[in-house]
Amino acid sequence: MAKEAEKEAEDAGGEFADFLADVSKEIAQRVESLDKRATPPAPEKKKLRTPAVADAGVFVEWPYVADRMIEEMR
Amino acid sequence: MSVVNYGTREITCKIVYYGPGRSGKTTNLQHVYSKLPEERKGKMVSLATETDRTLFFDFLPLDLGTISGFATRFQLYTVPGQVYYAATRKLVLQGVDGVVFVADSQSRQLAENIESLQDLHANLADEGLDPRTIPLVMQYNKRDLPAGEISAIADLDETLNFRAVPHFSATAVTGGGVFETLRSISTLVLSRLSAPAAKGS
Repeated sequence: MAKEAEKEAEDAGGEFADFLADVSKEIAQRVESLDKRATPPAPEKKKLRTPAVADAGVFVEWPYVADRMIEEMR
Repeated sequence: MSVVNYGTREITCKIVYYGPGRSGKTTNLQHVYSKLPEERKGKMVSLATETDRTLFFDFLPLDLGTISGFATRFQLYTVPGQVYYAATRKLVLQGVDGVVFVADSQSRQLAENIESLQDLHANLADEGLDPRTIPLVMQYNKRDLPAGEISAIADLDETLNFRAVPHFSATAVTGGGVFETLRSISTLVLSRLSAPAAKGS
């Protein structure tokens, strides 16, 4: 009698256990892929380039002037 | 509704059982509830009239514990099937992540099934949800009734399942097909987890 009750309890939990196992598997897969997407790749460090000069002391590539100034202030 | 919240490490899925009156939506939830291990049994909220018709809605919270570092909760709802509870159905559909359409297999209920499905589509559209893409599974319930009283699965599928979503035969009163249906809709909902939703509302 006790064994029957035990088996019934097992069966009762069985359907839920199977459901939980499926859900856990799905979440594990999704979380793994989401974690990869949610962590943005580290930005590539911008290399400072020495601006090209046309004449002595005259910068012609203006976008890099700010970089150069910051570098020299360090 | 947010499905996954990275900030609080929570996953919450709202699943609504939709369908005509007396198709077996509440019976689905009652079976799920009856199979929950004691330690996971919360409260199933059910508001019924004296004749056991769902008056407002049923609500069954399923706390699945921590899975892969996320506190995971499923919220199962039913809507009242009767036509005159249209406002309640719209309310329950707010923030839904997936729908189980419980159809009554009885041949004489076919028109009610179609009407309820049209009602579902209209209410989803009102909520700004696309009825063509929201996770959906069909459940053809009451398959235990005599063959002469019920429609063939193929006929039901042809009439109701124009999206060709997963469908299940069920006898919710004895539990047949209930968990298969729940597993299917859960998988569909979870497969839509996406990084942007993690930061969203």
